[in-house]
Amino acid sequence: MGKLDFFVRRTLQLGITLWAVATALFMLFRLMPGNPTSYIISPGMTPEVRQRLIDSYGLNDPLWVQYVRYIENLVTLDLGRSFKTNERVVDVLATYLPNTLVLMLTAFVVAYIIGISLGVLTGWYRGSRFEKTAVVTALVGRSIPSFWMGILVLWIFGAQYNLIPMSGMTSLGSGPTTFWDMVFSLDFLKHLVAPVAVLAFYYMGYPLLIMRNSMLETLSEDFIDLCRAKGLTERTIMFKHAARNALLPVLTAAAIAVGYAVGGSVLIETVFGWPGIGREMIRAVLRRDFPVAQGTFLVLALSVIVMNFVADLLYGVLDPRVTYD
Amino acid sequence: MTALAGCSGSDGDGNGNGGGSGSGNELPQYSYLNNPANYNPARHDAINLIGDQLNNLGLNTKVQVFEWGTLYTKITDEFNYSFATWSRGLGIDPGRRMAEQFHSSNTGKGGGNFTGYTNKDLDPTLMKQLQEADEQKRIDMLHEIQATINEDVPMHPIVQMPNIVAFNNQQVSGWTDHLVGYYHMEPMTNVEVNNSANELRGSWAETLGTLSVLGYNNETKLFHQFEMLYDKLVRINSELEPDPELSLATDWERPDDTTVRYKLREGHKWHDGEDLTPEDVKFTLEYIKENEIPLYSTQWEMYDSVSVDGQWITVKFSDPVGPVHKVFSNQIPIVPQHKWESRSNPAQASVNEPVGSGPLQFDYWEKGSELSLTKYEDHWRPVKFDRRIWRIIPESSTVWSLLKQGELNYLPYTRIGKQLNDNQDAGNIGVKSAPGDGWWHFSQNTRKEGLDDKAVRQAAVHALPKQAINQQIMYGFAEEGWNLIGESFGKFSNPDVPKYQEQDGIAAGQQVLEDAGYSIENGRVQAKGSSE
Repeated sequence: MGKLDFFVRRTLQLGITLWAVATALFMLFRLMPGNPTSYIISPGMTPEVRQRLIDSYGLNDPLWVQYVRYIENLVTLDLGRSFKTNERVVDVLATYLPNTLVLMLTAFVVAYIIGISLGVLTGWYRGSRFEKTAVVTALVGRSIPSFWMGILVLWIFGAQYNLIPMSGMTSLGSGPTTFWDMVFSLDFLKHLVAPVAVLAFYYMGYPLLIMRNSMLETLSEDFIDLCRAKGLTERTIMFKHAARNALLPVLTAAAIAVGYAVGGSVLIETVFGWPGIGREMIRAVLRRDFPVAQGTFLVLALSVIVMNFVADLLYGVLDPRVTYD
Repeated sequence: MTALAGCSGSDGDGNGNGGGSGSGNELPQYSYLNNPANYNPARHDAINLIGDQLNNLGLNTKVQVFEWGTLYTKITDEFNYSFATWSRGLGIDPGRRMAEQFHSSNTGKGGGNFTGYTNKDLDPTLMKQLQEADEQKRIDMLHEIQATINEDVPMHPIVQMPNIVAFNNQQVSGWTDHLVGYYHMEPMTNVEVNNSANELRGSWAETLGTLSVLGYNNETKLFHQFEMLYDKLVRINSELEPDPELSLATDWERPDDTTVRYKLREGHKWHDGEDLTPEDVKFTLEYIKENEIPLYSTQWEMYDSVSVDGQWITVKFSDPVGPVHKVFSNQIPIVPQHKWESRSNPAQASVNEPVGSGPLQFDYWEKGSELSLTKYEDHWRPVKFDRRIWRIIPESSTVWSLLKQGELNYLPYTRIGKQLNDNQDAGNIGVKSAPGDGWWHFSQNTRKEGLDDKAVRQAAVHALPKQAINQQIMYGFAEEGWNLIGESFGKFSNPDVPKYQEQDGIAAGQQVLEDAGYSIENGRVQAKGSSE
């Protein structure tokens, strides 16, 4: 099978997976106990008004009618309107998703740069005190819940020493800005540092440990001896030959981890008051706001599925030995 | 051993449910529905405490935790519960919710009288007080309602909840009490700010989902904003009187029981500079009615027509309306015709930059993060600060740190809890507390065997550990609840309503049960006649 065939087949699979996820989400929220209407109607309303409101959201239609409408709308990227606020779900996503992405991706890049570099060094300097320290640090980072770390950082550097902003993406009362103006402002950078550091500390362990293992494997291969025999410097061997070859599993793991990262932000967003999609997702689930909950979960699923797809393709591109037969 | 079916209802409670204890043995197991601890920790703990007391009394009670939506549906739609507790507010008029809560015709699914309490003798009074314009007559009727409900106890207040505001006392002063809360227009226009930016900076845990005053669901966080963004025809002051100093109308009159006339304030303008005219008021009322805006359904169902004559607006009601300013005139925000007339589906309109005429006007809204409202200089009752900022911060420990640092300077709707208790003594923290309109209700499903007898219900109320709840869970900020209409409503509260047992509630409750013919064996209440 050629690369094109593989691409087409995987794309089809991606479509089917998305449909299955969308269907599962539809069913899941409707099977959950609790009535969404209890959040949109007020006790003072007359039964007639309650009924009209419920009808207006289509909640009285048979389930299959609701499902067909849901899938139809989904195809046209119409995710509906929030039961709670009437806001279009697409607008909710457009408001909050970029905030999450800018936080998560920054943390991710920082974590992978540091993690991979430390992974190379720990692999290279196997058995040293440096290796032990780095591995223990990585394990500690992975083990401590990031929200707890966040609270600790806020308490020490925010509440006690007033060195970092305590909450949000911008300073209180700093006024309206466009997303990009905000992102490139110094104020935003100040707010970004603490949550990124906490998240990066957590994410860093994964690439570090994978890279270390991969390095150890690569370093035991014959071509490393050949490099030494050719008289290459240790530095060149470490970075240009060993690390490059060892990088493959880290990169593919990274693609998948990025997919998961979008959803991994919930707690950290709450701790740092970051107005991201995770917080909205929780709010929507708790309030039985089906359209928003479905929309946010779909985006989450989409990111995981797409990044898996990317990882598959990436593997083939990066490693010429991989075939699609 | 035979149950005396139908006899327990004959003891004069008049609730018409009849029904006796049925089995002739132990009373059945009762379910007390509780919200999850993370939804409202204090209330969760209080319900557990009450559940223990009810078991000590001899009522086999199982506390069951349900997610809020499920709990609410089980209680109000399915009536699948025995005891229920959550927060209830009466609003500015103590009689407005009485018919909804206790009228015999309102016991159906979602009808509001979820306890299933029926009392044909009380029904006429429940309705008439809503139509009575004479205040003293109305007070008498409300006193009668309180006395009856206090005796029959389908619903009873556990603790009266105060309005609380915590603030940085170096920066904010001048708070005045109001039954509705410190966010009401009157206290908000009295408060003074002393910081370099002359800003009032508050915080809330949840995002503001919308700024549509006709498309929200009466959530407190949004009510706080709309209260200051929009004017209302008549506002009620802290003395609970209609006050022209606060109102969009400067004068009003009632030619008859079904008519009210308002004289609109002259020269007032919308925040965008357009004149606010009587036509805007007419438009608002007709628009809300035509579009059947759910939030204001109680109000738009009241009136038939609106007409304008110079600066006067006349509203005709279909039936007599008693406390018209408390249940109608101060409920509907007046919206600008030139902004809303083009919106075909106002309840679902997306409003991102609201235009009102209130003392604060829209500045900017960073969704999920911050809302800023600035002083509307041309208002007849201006605020004393330049800007009010509302910041979304979910972590309460962060909020308190920022309050102490002076970054935030007030917490508009402070929740009673450990943080408040721990921080209230800090040097720069001030806490104001005023009696509120709300309480935690203890509701009993009168459809259930045993609970269809007022003696059992009274015994349960005797056993409520009110003092422990207030001292241990509410840190002493609340007050023990005794009367459906609390003392915060002044003359509307009936001072003669007897208190249930304050101290040894279990013994008092068991005495009531024994007097009514129940026996207690092995710590469990036996149905009437079962020991005969």
